[in-house]
Amino acid sequence: MAGPIAATRERNPAVSTTNAQPPRADAGPKADVALDLRDLRRVFLPRNNVPVEALAGVSLSVRQGEVVAILGPSGCGKSSLLRILAGLDRDYSGAIDWHVTHAGDEADRRLRSATVFQGDSTLPWLTVEDNVRIGLSGLHVDAAEAERRIAHYLGLVGLGRFRKSYPHELSGGMRQRAAIARALATEPLVLLMDEPLAALDAQTRLVMQQELLRIWGETRSTAVYITHDIGEALMLADRVVVMTGRPGRIKLTQDVPFGGKREVAQVRADPRFGQLESALWRSVAEEVGQSLTQTRGGE
Amino acid sequence: MADIALAGADTFAASQRLVRARRMRAVTQVALGIGFPLLLIAIWEVLARFGFIDQRFFPAPSKVASGMVSLLGDPDQRGRLLIDIGVTYERLAIGYVLGSVIGVIAGITMGLSATVRFCLGPLVSATFPTPKLAIFPLLIVIFGLGDPSKIALVSLGVFYMTCINTLSGVLYSNPLHRDVATAFKIPAWIRWTRIVVPSALPSIITGLKLGLGQALILVVSAEFVSADTGLGHFIWDSWQVLDIPRMFVGLVMVALTGGGAVLLGEALERRLTPWVSH
Repeated sequence: MAGPIAATRERNPAVSTTNAQPPRADAGPKADVALDLRDLRRVFLPRNNVPVEALAGVSLSVRQGEVVAILGPSGCGKSSLLRILAGLDRDYSGAIDWHVTHAGDEADRRLRSATVFQGDSTLPWLTVEDNVRIGLSGLHVDAAEAERRIAHYLGLVGLGRFRKSYPHELSGGMRQRAAIARALATEPLVLLMDEPLAALDAQTRLVMQQELLRIWGETRSTAVYITHDIGEALMLADRVVVMTGRPGRIKLTQDVPFGGKREVAQVRADPRFGQLESALWRSVAEEVGQSLTQTRGGE
Repeated sequence: MADIALAGADTFAASQRLVRARRMRAVTQVALGIGFPLLLIAIWEVLARFGFIDQRFFPAPSKVASGMVSLLGDPDQRGRLLIDIGVTYERLAIGYVLGSVIGVIAGITMGLSATVRFCLGPLVSATFPTPKLAIFPLLIVIFGLGDPSKIALVSLGVFYMTCINTLSGVLYSNPLHRDVATAFKIPAWIRWTRIVVPSALPSIITGLKLGLGQALILVVSAEFVSADTGLGHFIWDSWQVLDIPRMFVGLVMVALTGGGAVLLGEALERRLTPWVSH
């Protein structure tokens, strides 16, 4: 049995650019770190055999209970980064350290990461509750515990009365809430969200932002939140990370000063919100401009 | 208060109007669907009566109908027709079940394993365009002149339809569904039975429906060529003795079978994949 704190490391041997880096000097990982990314790189080989560098060395630490928003122009590799973290892409180099706070039994009852996807990822042939239940099928949870989690998390996202409904009977926002409940029910160490509100209309998105703040307040989730919406990043995150255009690296990191408990309307009215938004906008716009000229140059 | 009540009454009247309009449209649709074929039959009747078409080959619909009635009224002839229908349905059912079960399993296996796909894929795609009826003589050589060769022909046609559609369903259905399975570390068995196969189901059902049509074409063709029983033989035999009304009885039976199969397929589709908008 491992100690109370254990760390799992994924290191992809495909490209050994990180070999020069010595292993961590401090014996145990810092108690408050949930996830450490070190020098993640990803190269794609399109059909024309000209390699495209999507990620060029991304290093980032995510603290326990922290919501980190990753912001960047389209094509900057934010989704590539998330797919790597979600375990959907294994052809990367670099290291991911997951700091599992409880080893052994506890780890079997929680996923290391659970993902909420951009599109509608509910399974249309399953009821809402079965959509949540199937997310637990890789974990060692008994039927009673599964039932408890389904009831709890569907209640949390406001779908308690729709357990037996099928996704095609629900609105887009409700389906996305079902997908969020499915992710939360695995009680993941890190919640991964890939533009989860991007497909929703503007009003529903505002409502869902408030809902996410409330849900995170209750679950104290650690989350990595991918978005291209600057306001949304500021609204939801404790820290905003801006990525450069392709190849993606971290350009800057901005702490968000609005504290733990937030109201959407309040934050929007805060003068610092506007200031931060325009500062981040300038930073992102630079990258968008560059990637546009790059594209034009490539034509 | 009065305003609200009035608004309520208005809404009610408007909804009544919409309901009537919708019902009207449905009635018109059905009326045209039945009326237009009736019109064609009427034209045929007129053309035959006035001698514009050769009555020996295209007797007036009224004559066909009276011929059919007298045939069906004769216990002896009716009995033989029922036996022929039974024989055809048996060949159809056995061939269809065999072909579709093997086809779906092959399609899923090819989707599951890249190695199997690389082995069987080129073979299936290369032999698929061959008209199945062209292989019938070979099947007779292998299975003999009796039922097995006809059943094999039907299975073959159904196999290709279901196998190819199942495979494309497994490979190309919404990739997000498979991402969910991977991201949530869903065990392989549950992944296949509760995610990949249901995700491919609309495509599998399309294959099963196309297979039904194929099966009917092949069973009748096989019975034309080599049989002394079955609906195909009934039609061919009637043509050879120039008993045209009897031939039409056979054609109507085949058409009814095909129509019934399509309805059955659509009902199955609505029942199994209610999330797809049909």
